[in-house]
Amino acid sequence: MTRVLSWLLSALAIGAFGFLLCVFLFQSGPVWQSEGTRYITGVSWFYRQDVFGALSLIYGSLAVTAVALLLAGPLGLGAAVFLSEYLPQKARLALKIPLELLAGIPSVVFGLLGIALLRDWVYRTFAKFDPLSGDTLLTAGILLAVMILPTMVSLCDDALRSVSGAQRQAARALGLTRAETIWNIVLPQASRGIASAFLLSVGRALGETVAVFLVIGRQDNNLPHPWYSPAPLLEAGQTLTTKLGGAETNIAFGDPLHWAAIMGLGVLLLVLTAGATCLGTLGRRRHA
Amino acid sequence: MRIQATMKLFLPLFFSVLSLTSISAAPLKINGSTTVNLPVAEAAEILRTEQKMEIQVDTQGGSAGGISMLGDGLVQMGMSSKPVSEDDRSKYPKCDFRPIHIGEDAVALIVSKDVWENGVHTLNKTQLKDIYEGRVKNWKDVGGERAQRIAFFNKEPGRGTWEVFVHWLYGSPKAAPQVNFPEVGGNEETRSKVASTPGALSQLSASWADGKSVFALALVGEDGVPVPPESQNIATHKYPLSRPLFVLTNGEPSGGAKTMVDFLLGERGQALVQKHGYLPLKALHP
Repeated sequence: MTRVLSWLLSALAIGAFGFLLCVFLFQSGPVWQSEGTRYITGVSWFYRQDVFGALSLIYGSLAVTAVALLLAGPLGLGAAVFLSEYLPQKARLALKIPLELLAGIPSVVFGLLGIALLRDWVYRTFAKFDPLSGDTLLTAGILLAVMILPTMVSLCDDALRSVSGAQRQAARALGLTRAETIWNIVLPQASRGIASAFLLSVGRALGETVAVFLVIGRQDNNLPHPWYSPAPLLEAGQTLTTKLGGAETNIAFGDPLHWAAIMGLGVLLLVLTAGATCLGTLGRRRHA
Repeated sequence: MRIQATMKLFLPLFFSVLSLTSISAAPLKINGSTTVNLPVAEAAEILRTEQKMEIQVDTQGGSAGGISMLGDGLVQMGMSSKPVSEDDRSKYPKCDFRPIHIGEDAVALIVSKDVWENGVHTLNKTQLKDIYEGRVKNWKDVGGERAQRIAFFNKEPGRGTWEVFVHWLYGSPKAAPQVNFPEVGGNEETRSKVASTPGALSQLSASWADGKSVFALALVGEDGVPVPPESQNIATHKYPLSRPLFVLTNGEPSGGAKTMVDFLLGERGQALVQKHGYLPLKALHP
């Protein structure tokens, strides 16, 4: 019975996702017809001239997510190790509750904090690289890092706690130090959970709109030259979500090609988030 | 029980049909400029609830669409952010266009305090084109005393402010070159970003340039005289980035159209004009 139900519900979930993807694909049809693969590889987006190349938007999304993960990943995992392995149980709970409260703060509040504190800080700190303003991809990435950090710590902590205490005791009994136990026993065993914590954070970072919108500057067609150049990080940019959340969505409605291009961004966003999750799940299987 | 439910359902319906036939047989249809649409749409919302009027407001084809649909008799009222030209009148000889001036929209080019203190108080058309097309990136090249990068914030697409700006520089939004600048949206955002960014420049509705956190540049016309966006210059059109806002009727406004015109020219309508960042008539003729 449970088995049948779980199959049914899984099918329902997959069906819902498929249906959503189909709706988006159908609505974005015209742009695939007119632009083809240039829609993904094209470097310019000028809607008034009917030129739709989303590469700079994909780049923007990936760049801010990468910055956020690079900052929040090590910090989050480190904090989780401290919480779960070093703190006594009472202190751990006392810290965990505010942490989960932090994770629930609406993103627009983080956006406001970003405007109030982060923009000027980035502008002054990187003054010698001469950024035009404090609205940069880097600012958005740092803000996202702050936003995903509580989720990251909380999920990593859960993953570490799921490793049974008997394992730790056995390791200590064999003469391993506490640090060695964590490094050799706890972390490897918790790696699946930690990976899923990272992936959930990636999902949140990719999909986040409002907070990013407020500090990213919304400049179209900002791509690095050459491709590995970090220069665009200190310039204003645009992500898939900020484009969708911006003024163009309202303008596009009624113009079939422009609307298709906007819906196409929805497809790309869906595929990116789904892709990250699937990759993570595969990786977890291989590990186990 | 059932009768009561039926009554509940049909009585309001009955009365609404009754009131519809007694007040206005056909809805008031309005079409035209997105700029004028902002105060008009809000006025329509108020008249719908207060006067139970049926009003449809649309913005197909902008000002040109407003003029042509009024000329074709498809709407009873047009909205336009430009005067009706002789061409328009000769195209629709049967239509007696009556433009009713409801306010004025002026776009200021604003800079941050440090730029103002750097000695940049005016710009001309060529300089603005150079900046917009990315040939000039430093305030030193356009009148600044010391070198300072220009941080240009472009109004996001769909904003009337942007359209006035490129209309003046390039003739039409379609003719504007493809550029990439950080974008700003509403007037509040524009003002705060320019105020908080050194070297900043952007377009902003003139009523928002306060002269404390952001400063409006004077524009230099072909005669070489700088014209600041002050009320009398806007009213006399000496300041080039300004345009009148009109609603249009065919002949003397009557019926629903008259109610709308009276509302827009009245105190509350003029307050709506001001709320959306335009100059009300009072400010034009002080």
